[in-house]
Amino acid sequence: MKLLISYLLLAFITFASHGQSQLTIRGTVKDTTNLPLNYTSVLLLSPKDSALVAYTLTNKEGEYQFKNVDRQPLLIKATYMGYLPIQKELELPETDELEVEVIRLMPIMQELYEVVVKAAKAPLMMRGDTLEYDASKFKVPPGATLEELLRKLPGIQIDKDGNIVAQGQQVQKVTVDGRRFFGGNTKMATQNLNAESVSKLQLFDDKSEQSKLTGVDDGVKEKTLNVELKEEAKKGGFGKISAAGETDSRWSSNASYNKFDKVNQFSIIGYGNNVNQTGLSWDDLQEFRGSGAFQFGDTGDFGFNGSGGVNYISFSGGDREESFEIPFNNLSSGFSNNEAIGVNFNHLKDKKDFSSNYFYSRSDQIIESFNSRTNFLQNNSSFTSTDQSLQNNGAGHHRANLRFQNELDSTNTITIEAKGRLSTLNTSLGSLQELIRNSTEQSQMERDNRSNKWSGAFQGTAIYRHKFEKSGRIFAASISNTYSKADQDGIQKSVVDLVNSTDPNTYFRNLDQVNEALNSNNTIKSSLLYVEPIKKIFFWETFYNFSQSKSETDRKVFDMEASDTPELNPDLSRFFDNTITYNRVGSSIRYANKGSNISVGLAASNYRLNGQFSVEKASEILGRVDKNYLNLTPNLSYWKTMKGNKRINAGYSMGVTPPNIADLQPFKDISNPLYIREGNPDLQPEVTHSFNTGYNMYDPATFINFQFSLNSTFYQSQVVQNQSIDPETFVTTFTAGNVSGGQRYFSYIGFGFPIVKTKFNAYLTANPSFTKSLALINSIQTETNTLSHNLGVNLDLTPVEWLSLYAGTSYRLSKTTYEQNPSQNQDIINLSAYTNMNVKLPKDFYFDMKFNYNRFENESFGFNQEVPILNAFIYKLIGEAKKWEVRLSAYDVFKQNQTISQFAGQNFVTTGRIETLSRYFLLGVTYNMRGVEVKNRR
Amino acid sequence: MKLKYLITIAMILITTGLRAQNVVGEVEYRYRIFYDKIYSSLPHLTQQERDRILLTWNNPEGYSTRMKLQFWPEKSLYTYGEPYEVRSYSWQVEDYFIENNLKDQTYLKYMDQMGKTYIVRDSLNAPKWRVMNEIRDILGHMCMKAVSEDSLKGQKITAWFASDIPVPIGPEEQFGLPGLILAYDINDGMLIVEAEKITFGEPEEIITLPKKMKGREVSGTNYQDIVREFIQSSIESRRAWMWEIRY
Repeated sequence: MKLLISYLLLAFITFASHGQSQLTIRGTVKDTTNLPLNYTSVLLLSPKDSALVAYTLTNKEGEYQFKNVDRQPLLIKATYMGYLPIQKELELPETDELEVEVIRLMPIMQELYEVVVKAAKAPLMMRGDTLEYDASKFKVPPGATLEELLRKLPGIQIDKDGNIVAQGQQVQKVTVDGRRFFGGNTKMATQNLNAESVSKLQLFDDKSEQSKLTGVDDGVKEKTLNVELKEEAKKGGFGKISAAGETDSRWSSNASYNKFDKVNQFSIIGYGNNVNQTGLSWDDLQEFRGSGAFQFGDTGDFGFNGSGGVNYISFSGGDREESFEIPFNNLSSGFSNNEAIGVNFNHLKDKKDFSSNYFYSRSDQIIESFNSRTNFLQNNSSFTSTDQSLQNNGAGHHRANLRFQNELDSTNTITIEAKGRLSTLNTSLGSLQELIRNSTEQSQMERDNRSNKWSGAFQGTAIYRHKFEKSGRIFAASISNTYSKADQDGIQKSVVDLVNSTDPNTYFRNLDQVNEALNSNNTIKSSLLYVEPIKKIFFWETFYNFSQSKSETDRKVFDMEASDTPELNPDLSRFFDNTITYNRVGSSIRYANKGSNISVGLAASNYRLNGQFSVEKASEILGRVDKNYLNLTPNLSYWKTMKGNKRINAGYSMGVTPPNIADLQPFKDISNPLYIREGNPDLQPEVTHSFNTGYNMYDPATFINFQFSLNSTFYQSQVVQNQSIDPETFVTTFTAGNVSGGQRYFSYIGFGFPIVKTKFNAYLTANPSFTKSLALINSIQTETNTLSHNLGVNLDLTPVEWLSLYAGTSYRLSKTTYEQNPSQNQDIINLSAYTNMNVKLPKDFYFDMKFNYNRFENESFGFNQEVPILNAFIYKLIGEAKKWEVRLSAYDVFKQNQTISQFAGQNFVTTGRIETLSRYFLLGVTYNMRGVEVKNRR
Repeated sequence: MKLKYLITIAMILITTGLRAQNVVGEVEYRYRIFYDKIYSSLPHLTQQERDRILLTWNNPEGYSTRMKLQFWPEKSLYTYGEPYEVRSYSWQVEDYFIENNLKDQTYLKYMDQMGKTYIVRDSLNAPKWRVMNEIRDILGHMCMKAVSEDSLKGQKITAWFASDIPVPIGPEEQFGLPGLILAYDINDGMLIVEAEKITFGEPEEIITLPKKMKGREVSGTNYQDIVREFIQSSIESRRAWMWEIRY
């Protein structure tokens, strides 16, 4: 005990420093009834900044003593539980001894302490005679007046006439933020001020108005209540608008506005352009969605999946028809005219979280493209088809998303999501296809296809999660329904000259058809999950998944050529009615401790495929599909987080994917007469074994980072498209079939390190990949191997605040080898390089330059195309707050833009080229309420 | 002279019947960090980026961790407490131990910071506290407000200490007030540490440091230099240093 106390005191002594002319200060602390207060903290502070100089405790007699205190101005302060702390300045004596007069502590009014400090948890502040507290801690109904708030406060009563009585005395005046309110009329103030806007209340005795005026204290005190109003900190609005144009008809504009407070977020955004921008920027999308920006991935599908136990969240930015998501970061090919408008509203209160948005986008696109495809035949010969087309696409998408999450209490959470979309698409395609066998044998076909499509979808999801009292024990259930419908009609015309074949059965012939398609799908999904913790480090997880997808396809094709009246073509018209029912039950044991996670699981899955088809809905049934697949799928995953920001993972999973019903039905799709698709009723599901492993590390002190991953897939059974090519007509018929032995390997290596820390960084990447594909070509098994090497170097140079330089290059070589036909081996090379430079010039001028160089090569075809694109921008911020920007932009200075694609497949090689918007200049102005954002670093 | 002084005061205290049960115990703190507020305060961000971060990352509850402090008049031990929720994924690998020895005025910190493990030993150096005129109740203890500043990390610290628990001890790196620090806050709510439970008396299970401490041994001043350099180079590279150093 003695030892214990001497330790305690050592701490005090360190505060009392040594020097000349040191003081000894002593005194007594008593309460208002003259009883000594022991165990009271007595503090010595410096009056100028309240810095703590020394402290001690009083003894039984309420006495305290400080020794060896440096001579300096001092405040003494005493505090004791339940008493108002008191402080006063010490008058330093000539001698080394100071006997301080008795400090008397006043008890805090019981009610005040209990209600304000304890119950409402509002800090109580002393400012001389003034007591102040945080009124926001007292709950009053919304819209309540200050009077209602005052009624809640301890020590304050409102009498029947509406007067305020505080501590027995009537309040003479009410001030707001220190100023008199309504001439000091207390009732006017208390009945008109909104309680929610009050942050603090101060009650004190003020000098009378008379004495304030004369400066002579007449001793009259007025009880005064000061009301401090809240600073509406979390409230504001911001927006921006920009417009740019050029004389040669190119233009671009966008505008957005956000308004938010603590509970509501509202935003509106719109854009329009004819420079191929078909989505929001990523930053704009975040601002638009506000607190809803990162709410995704809650699909309610429980249990491990084919990708190794981790649920990946993928989101693509494109304006795809099937997507419910708002398009972003999207640059289209060709020439397009794009407009969009969206509204978002979020409401966040307590444990309720609501977000909603509506987005409409439309675009008209013209694509002029040239595609070439060379098909290899088994006898070392080949033929080439080329397709020169002009396509006009018009698309409009309405999308709406609603999400509501409510934490009912600490154990139950419910999430409800509703998504809807409505799309219209019009396409017209004119093309000239040529088939070249050799210089003397050629045939041509002209196509003219048009279609109008209307489609809509709705998805509703509800997820319920329950946490049991035992921590880690979880139950979750989800249900979702997706309904989609599409109605398409179109015409299909083709005119063939120089037909090589006289066979009347060939489909390579003149066509004049009208088609109608009505497709609908309804999918119901439901999942259950139960997790039982065992000793806090083992988790036994059991799940059940169910889904049923019913789809109906009604496709009617009418021939126009025979007569003027359309005649139903019974070979091409089909009515399908399919149901896929999926049931899976599984269980896994997970070990999770100290950064290590190991999971071992097994699931049994069953797919049941039912379908039937006929020419028309009511006509004779031509075929039925009734398949049942039962599989056991094991799953293994390992994941470890280590000290020093290192992570390692490995996993194995088995995936089972049922065949497409379309691939199961013996039906010929001749929508492209050169490439006919045919179903196979004996098709088996695709079964894969996937292994993945990865490692990554980041050293924050040296900025060195390293990443490695390897993913491999082995196909036990792979669904492939077997081909048979008619040697006469070159018409290719694809039939789905199963093969085993296919393999895929993807790896990624990344290494980043500083060359000069904070100024010059390098990042090196390599991602080699290998694919082995097998398929039957004209009943002969062929093997195609593609080995790709991709090497990249990126350099970031930020030597000074006003300059940043980024440069990089990547080189990809894809070697495709054909086991049965080595003379057709292909080497495809893509080389790209870029440099970006951002310069901050004097007087708020900025200059940015972006140069991209791409080269596409395929030696065996003598293909070699370079695409150098240079964009440059010069802009100036205007005004003190930099809210205005004027910008001159030059896009594709060399007028070289085109979209190139190259691909080598099992028995073919394709190259494609799309004519794309090239050189244009824009002069634009931006106004941003929060100041224009300059991003000179990436 | 000094010894005499000590003994005198000790005698006084013993005779006053010091309530010794108040100076030994265990406190559980809720360490709540608000990443949105911290991230949006980075110096290189534009106003628009700050607004965007606050709007989209908005998390009014913050991210909570339970911490545990054990105190005696002569020392304190501090580390992680039991997690709030048993989770089926384990991320936690980092160590964070602080041992303050008031007897010989030294400290030992064993912690994973900036991607490395450090063992820091030096003599205690209390923050420069200013005691304010405000009181608040925390778990039935009347606490006074004190403020200080950490110029290295650019932090304004507001602490609440209970003068009826007269030990100059506190959570994290806070100590040196005339009472146990039951709560503190950094930069008006970027970090809030608040006591949730106080148990007086000898703790049932005393916090033990790992038997084998592997890490880089540095002095307190050396460590400060490492932190200073790390913060500087992070700011220059426009990286958020707060992800790698205990805030």
